[in-house]
Amino acid sequence: MLRRLGILIVALSVSLSGTPEAFAQAPDSRDSSEYLIKAGFIYNFAKFVEWPSAAFAQPDSPIVIGILGTDPFGPLIDQIVENKKIGARSFVVKRLKWGTDFKELRDCKILFVGASEKAHVDELVQIVKTLPILTVGETPGFAERGGVIRFVLEDNRVRFEVNVEAAHQADLTISSRLLTLARIIQQAAAETRKPG
Amino acid sequence: MNDRTNPHYLERGNDPIRLSEMVQRRKARARLADDFQEGKLTMLFNRDHKTGPVKRAGRIFLAGFLSVLLAGSTVAQNPRNVPDVTAMSMEDLMNLQVTSVSKRTQKVADAAAAIFVLTQEDIRRSGATSIPEALRLVPGLEVARIDQNKWAIGSRGFNGRFDNKLLVLIDGRSVYTPLFSGVYWNVQDVMLEDVDRIEVIRGPGATLWGANAVDGVINVITKKAKATQSAVVTAGAGTEERAAGGVRYGSKLGDNTYYRAYTKYFDWRPSVYPSGVTAHDGWDALRGGFRADWTPAGANSLTVQGDVYRSRFDETLTVASLSAPYSNTFPNDGKYSGGNILGRWNHTSEGSSMSLQMYYDNTTITDHSLFGDHQNILDIDFQDGFHAGNSQQFVWGLGYRSIHDKNDASFTVSLQPNQVTLNQFSTFLQDEISLVDNRLQITLGSKFERNEFTGFEIEPNARLLWNLTPNQSIWTAVSRAVRTPALTEEGLRLNSQVIPPGTPANPTPLPAVVAVFGSHQFNSEDLLAYELGYRVQATKNLSLDIATFYNNYSNLRTAEPGAPYPEGSPAPTDFVIPFVAGNKMSGGTYGVELFADWKVVPKWRLVGSYSYLQMDIHKNIDSQDPTPDNPNGSSPRHQWYLRSSVDLPKHFEQDTTLRFVDHLPSLGLPSYYSLDAHLGWRPVNSLEFSIGGQNLLNNWHLEFMPDFVNTSPTVVKRSIFGSITVKF
Repeated sequence: MLRRLGILIVALSVSLSGTPEAFAQAPDSRDSSEYLIKAGFIYNFAKFVEWPSAAFAQPDSPIVIGILGTDPFGPLIDQIVENKKIGARSFVVKRLKWGTDFKELRDCKILFVGASEKAHVDELVQIVKTLPILTVGETPGFAERGGVIRFVLEDNRVRFEVNVEAAHQADLTISSRLLTLARIIQQAAAETRKPG
Repeated sequence: MNDRTNPHYLERGNDPIRLSEMVQRRKARARLADDFQEGKLTMLFNRDHKTGPVKRAGRIFLAGFLSVLLAGSTVAQNPRNVPDVTAMSMEDLMNLQVTSVSKRTQKVADAAAAIFVLTQEDIRRSGATSIPEALRLVPGLEVARIDQNKWAIGSRGFNGRFDNKLLVLIDGRSVYTPLFSGVYWNVQDVMLEDVDRIEVIRGPGATLWGANAVDGVINVITKKAKATQSAVVTAGAGTEERAAGGVRYGSKLGDNTYYRAYTKYFDWRPSVYPSGVTAHDGWDALRGGFRADWTPAGANSLTVQGDVYRSRFDETLTVASLSAPYSNTFPNDGKYSGGNILGRWNHTSEGSSMSLQMYYDNTTITDHSLFGDHQNILDIDFQDGFHAGNSQQFVWGLGYRSIHDKNDASFTVSLQPNQVTLNQFSTFLQDEISLVDNRLQITLGSKFERNEFTGFEIEPNARLLWNLTPNQSIWTAVSRAVRTPALTEEGLRLNSQVIPPGTPANPTPLPAVVAVFGSHQFNSEDLLAYELGYRVQATKNLSLDIATFYNNYSNLRTAEPGAPYPEGSPAPTDFVIPFVAGNKMSGGTYGVELFADWKVVPKWRLVGSYSYLQMDIHKNIDSQDPTPDNPNGSSPRHQWYLRSSVDLPKHFEQDTTLRFVDHLPSLGLPSYYSLDAHLGWRPVNSLEFSIGGQNLLNNWHLEFMPDFVNTSPTVVKRSIFGSITVKF
């Protein structure tokens, strides 16, 4: 009985406290729930991707999430991963600029490539392809061009593509749990014909 | 937080004013919480059937738990209380719905003004094929058709074909004509499929939009070019609008530039007179236009857009003449054509936003046997907004407008001088202050402008919004607005009637011409408006909006009789009985407008509106204007509508609207009900069949009467219109 009452109170508080802005719709994607959901995915990726042990200096070295270029998450992603741990590893979020932060790129375990870096995708893939970095992008063709994971919006829901070959090259092991939810992408032909 | 309370946010063009962007970001988190919650609820409704009940129960529990977290974050605005998406599985994340972008950018609930937004969805589902017809769904707005190509549209009273207290903008371009201070409604059109929304403010908006935004502002806002990246072909036919079609194509030029181009055409058959005889009021129009948006990464963006159009319309005109029978009624026709081009540059940086907009508009209107008017308008507008501390936001702007008008006279209508250039300058400043943890917002501001007729005008307002709880708010405002003189009120001569010689009214041997004159002494009409409103989101699915007002007008226009005099040379040909524009009427109007929106179930929405208007306008004691107190009773006292929107299986959707409009005693028109229905079917996303019926209850009804220009009114018949729209 008490529990039911509790549920009722929760339900009431939900309907009263959350609703006023329910109809507000965001003028651009930054203000919508899109990046909150994507941040949730990124956290899950960390859970379901295995890095080679050599990728980390210590068993408790943090998982560094790099955000390259324009940051669509804002402080959100920091708040989401703050105090979260996967095994012994906590998270660190870094914002990086193309051209100036190459050194820091290498420290990242997850690298989110912002839409502003669209023109640099090929170059970036060349730089990081053999490093144990989970690249995550959202520009069209990101996975085909050698990025590991790309977010796609479908029917207002977030889906993702995985380029298994790119993951393999980066020495990342992606759990089957993640793969069953993903759309598997083949590397584009032009990219696979590597010189030499 | 505060900028969204500001009607200014509502756009000037169609880029939401970026001033708000920074603040929005600040607020984004709170909103995210709600979006997320909404998404979560969607998730609950949209669960796969595969999911077992046990798992589902767990999810519901999780969702409830999250809601509590979210609720906390909304109220407390605590940065740490972001919903814990890490507690959700990937499957759950995949089922969360991303809030769709920009249907109602403006959070209406945060505005200290009576704002209503008509979305693209509302317009499409209404079956309306023109802007005036779509406006019938705006609570409290008075929309009446005089004949197939003429409308009277007003807000909070004073309705008429030449209603002069409503400002209308299309993508930031004012379409209010300085000729008679009103809107040529038949000239205003866009590709309706490309409209993002129509925002309507009832009540004064003069502080931001300037003189003439007295009783309302209508903003038609089209989508960004990026949102129209497809080809659309639409074709339709009906019993009244016998043919209509449009083509739009949108594409990309390089990475950051999107454009679209459109052309459309329609043709209306003539209606009938109340006598049942076929009228002479058909019309057609052809128009085309484009829009291009350049949005490189970074702080700047640029929009260029333009339209060209031409139209031909028929009407039955009655004019006076100096020889027997002294009044002629005959089928007349006219045409209009024109074009406009607009450029807008936006610059946004952290904490501030600037925009510069410039447009040129050319309109030529020829009403044969009556009047010809050629207008060229150049308008430049700059504004800048910035934050001062955490709780204040300033917006200021500068505007310049140059109007060149040239006109061709007839015996009935003439304007002195027949060619004129007017320059107007304006500036405004507004400060928005947030207090008490952003729950109380105060907006103070004023417009200062200079025009060539009345000189300097000042239009201040003070607005206050108080968020009582997160889901209800109360607002109040005091504002001053002016309606500056139109060209006609300065230099018009309108020969409205000729009294034959040798009659009791005119025993002289010469005909007597009753003529209305403009006057250089004519002054601005003034309004002091007091408004009070309340909004509540009673439940997730039910919202209510109440706005009340008391408007105190002074210096309203009258027609003051002058001493008759003979004219003609060398021998007099007639007597003139002059009525000269004066400012000798004043009084109050008050009213209430209600709007309720109820999502009964996800696939069924009911909306309802009721408005009440009482006008108490009287001529001053020193006025000798012999006409009755005419503004009273040309606007309906009661209006209501009830609208049901149902999503049916197999991609059918059905909308029904029942409207009531009260009688108009001063025009001798009875009240009427109109039942409008619309059925749409979208078997696939790229194809839509639509059929709509208007005025289904009656064979016809008469909605309005002409004023000043004596054209014969025609009825609104029962009508059916069907169309096919293909996207690819």
